[in-house]
Amino acid sequence: MIRFPGSNADLDVVWVIRKVAGVNASLVWHKEFRHGIYDAIVLPGGFSYGDWLRAGAIAARSEVMDEVGEDVLNGVPVLGICNGFQILVESGILPGALLPNTSGRFICGWVKLRLLNPRGPWLKLAQHGLVVDMPIAHGEGRYYVDEEPINRPMIKYFDTNPNGSSYDIAGVASESGLVLGLMPHPERAAEQILVPDDRTPGGLIIWRSIASALKEGW
Amino acid sequence: MYVIEVIITNKENVRDPEGETIHRSLVIRRGFNDVAGIRAGKYLEFRVNKPSCREALEYVKELCYKLRIYNPVVHDIKVRASGSDSCD
Amino acid sequence: MPLTTEELSEIKMILGREPTRAELSMFEAQWSEHCSYKSSRYYLRLLPTTNSNVLIGPGRDAPAVKAFDRFALVFKIESHNHPSAVDPYNGAATGIGGIVRDIMTLGAKPIALLDLLFLGEPSNQYANWLIRGVVKGISDYGNRIGVPVVAGMIWFDKSYNTYPLVNVACVGIVEVSKLVNSVPEAGDLIVVAGNSTGRDGIFGSSFASKSLGSDELSNISAVQVGNPLMEKLLIDAITEATELGLIKYMKDLGGGGLATALSELAADHNLGAVVILDSLHLREGNMSPEEILVSESQERMMLIVASDRLNDLGAVLKRYDLEYSVIGYLSSDGLIKVYYRGELVANVPAKELAKPRIRLWDIEIPEEYRSLGRELRIPEVNDLSHALRKVLSSPNVVSKEWVYSQYDYEVGIRTVIKPGAGDAAVLRLMEVSEYAGIAVKGDGNPRYVYLNPFMGAANAVGECYRNLISVGSKPVAIVDELNAGNPEKPTHYWYFTQMVKGVAWMAQELKLPVVGGKVSFYNEDLSNGSQVRPVTTIVGVGLIDDVRKSVTYSLKNDGDYVIVVGVTCPELGGSEYIYRCFGLEAGEIPLPRPSSEILNGTYVSKLIDLGYALAVHDVDVGGIAAAISEMCVKGMKGVMIDLSKVPARGCSRFDEIMFSESQARYLVEVRRDCLGKALELARDLNVEVGVLGEVHGDELAIRYGDLDLVRVGINELREIYDNTLERLIEG
Repeated sequence: MIRFPGSNADLDVVWVIRKVAGVNASLVWHKEFRHGIYDAIVLPGGFSYGDWLRAGAIAARSEVMDEVGEDVLNGVPVLGICNGFQILVESGILPGALLPNTSGRFICGWVKLRLLNPRGPWLKLAQHGLVVDMPIAHGEGRYYVDEEPINRPMIKYFDTNPNGSSYDIAGVASESGLVLGLMPHPERAAEQILVPDDRTPGGLIIWRSIASALKEGW
Repeated sequence: MYVIEVIITNKENVRDPEGETIHRSLVIRRGFNDVAGIRAGKYLEFRVNKPSCREALEYVKELCYKLRIYNPVVHDIKVRASGSDSCD
Repeated sequence: MPLTTEELSEIKMILGREPTRAELSMFEAQWSEHCSYKSSRYYLRLLPTTNSNVLIGPGRDAPAVKAFDRFALVFKIESHNHPSAVDPYNGAATGIGGIVRDIMTLGAKPIALLDLLFLGEPSNQYANWLIRGVVKGISDYGNRIGVPVVAGMIWFDKSYNTYPLVNVACVGIVEVSKLVNSVPEAGDLIVVAGNSTGRDGIFGSSFASKSLGSDELSNISAVQVGNPLMEKLLIDAITEATELGLIKYMKDLGGGGLATALSELAADHNLGAVVILDSLHLREGNMSPEEILVSESQERMMLIVASDRLNDLGAVLKRYDLEYSVIGYLSSDGLIKVYYRGELVANVPAKELAKPRIRLWDIEIPEEYRSLGRELRIPEVNDLSHALRKVLSSPNVVSKEWVYSQYDYEVGIRTVIKPGAGDAAVLRLMEVSEYAGIAVKGDGNPRYVYLNPFMGAANAVGECYRNLISVGSKPVAIVDELNAGNPEKPTHYWYFTQMVKGVAWMAQELKLPVVGGKVSFYNEDLSNGSQVRPVTTIVGVGLIDDVRKSVTYSLKNDGDYVIVVGVTCPELGGSEYIYRCFGLEAGEIPLPRPSSEILNGTYVSKLIDLGYALAVHDVDVGGIAAAISEMCVKGMKGVMIDLSKVPARGCSRFDEIMFSESQARYLVEVRRDCLGKALELARDLNVEVGVLGEVHGDELAIRYGDLDLVRVGINELREIYDNTLERLIEG
């Protein structure tokens, strides 16, 4: 987990990876991160650099993202959650852009998502069309892309689109699925105790997938 | 039809964390040291149907105040005609 | 508020000479009402503040209560009323910043925020602007620092149209062994970390404007702007420094800035301080010493550090790119000596500076209060379905999702019971054990206070207690915020004294220590000098051994029974019902009932612990009718309620049973196969309960015996409950 000034969901991810995925995890301050050390990387949620200028814009230009880029070239899986997704998009590692929600308001709540064309380490155990629940919490989650991306894993909002994103896209991955970014928070949907009465822990699919992928390949 | 631009910034003596952070953590950090400072603000463009440029300006100033498009306690506001139009 | 001539001569006596400008600014800040509590200390002594669970009581920047043996809960409430009236966005935001830093001063990690807002009518343009600004301010700041806003309340009243009340609370957790509570000693260093100091918060008092050398008032920054990014870095750095044991003592630089922090610290520990202002990292070049001393620049903390730990602390702060300065050291002579450019600009005895003389203002019962109608005359109501719709659609009853969905309430992955789901928020405490947790909630009712400030304030304590019980927690402590008018006006001051007494009485009855709290005076409508409606807000915490047993209030299963716990009396005075349906704010408000609260609370706690209770909702604003409607809407399940089964005393009308706001009552969904045991338990404990009906269908039906009174579909109820607030605010 790479922590930027302003990241705030980093410890949450550390907890879930250790406890739910059963994988060793460390929190690394952005100045101290170097490529070639870790088997997988997570860019967590939060408000890096206060989301000033544009969400993820300043973090995307920081030195640590050059290191992350190196790791991506070497086949290290990278997951960007919420602000992490924004950083991946701003740094060009994933396509598209993330704009303010059409309602003009921050929105926190649970949504249903559909996983499409799953491949790669983060979605290894998912089937095409699987519907899961996860919470969102963002003010700039409106994913924008000119043409619908094809031939890559995607996560789409299932029953309602909370922020006006193009093609109902909530998350998108690189073609091989090595790098996955999504606005919803899978670390908040990995333990039954935190899930509302009428929902299920939809984040588990991602954590179980990466655990399996790291142990057995993908 | 007149195009009136409104730029809203924090008052000079009111903290501007957005401008400060962009300056320090992005611009200076990446070596553009000749930038002495940055102020962040909001830009709005109004297309106004009034017979003269002066009236259009006054109209926008008034509505920005009445509707609290800016908060006079914290914000400064520059209202000007855009581009080649000039008033005053 | 400038110093009075009395106070000025007192200062002269204390110093034995005329004060310097710097000294005057220090006294002005410290002796202000907000910092000194001179108008309230006399009455605050009535509050019960300790018991065996209280580790640190009032006096520090935040109190600490023991929880689960090895841990302490640090929680506090604060108001930011006046700043929010002037600039709702920044006023509310910096309120959040301040309360979080207060929690941090004990080394606690902030884990939850609450907002208690008293706002005007959404249809009023100015009030609407205030509402949006306040909510956005809290949202933008709270979300960025990663502390979830998990609970709160909002009350709409035209009294707040131009002046809101914004109370915020924060809860933190720390291991008792890591509490930052060492005794500061002479020789310890004084470090200021965080934002550079500027002119923020220095109002245009005649004194300050002289020192600036310019006549333009616009140069004086009356507004404090928050920087949540800086705050998050402070949280990260101080958490790390606390883990390493580098800090002996901390104070937040808040109201009154350096001046008050220094005086309070020194006075509390019989110390003095030597301060060299030139060392402080500043934002603006030409500040005078008096400006530096009272600046309220945000996101700054004062850290007391042993000299041999300074380097390590510096390394931690640097890692997070935080600026800091060593501005001086503690001394043993009890004097605060401030140097600037080589000159001694202030030399003040700390103890005298820290505690000004108590002011005892006159009290007078307002004429308006005396002439309140105490006898209620309301016409017979035939269409009770219509009355129900009116009450359910009241802004004080409807779902507040428009507000809380703007707050990230999930960050931290602790939030087990989320906003809108239960009577209180429930959070798990992973550091304690897998399933240990706490409940937290805040309450206050200005209409009750208006009609009877003593009982109104007491009822706020009772309501908070019930809400904590409802989710399955054991209430342990409360904090209070007393929002009142101008203490120099006897009719305003009277409300304050009554509210304090009400809280003191009820807290003692319920055995809840009031471990901390605040007083906010001078809350007056800016346009006409009348006080805005005074109110006491109570924030309480409760402990939960196993969060898996905590209970939301949505109806769960067809076939379960709904029971009412507690007695209903004809207490429509001050109710939401008579206000919405008849425009009345009159009558006697519901009596506080401490013995029943304890008795019924014990019973409900047992029902939850034994697993008999699947849903619990306390009955308050809107009475049984509103409570059962909310349970139906949340579970999307119908029920048929027979009012003739409600244990009632003296109710002669149906609407009295439906809408009375009698205290100490709960509605409980009891598992179908446990009803017998639940009723037996009630008999054993001498608790009065009534079995109202069974969950089934898709309608809320209310009858009295064979008589049909109300029939409304659940979908319609949901439409009203879920969507009204957004419609009112967004138009």
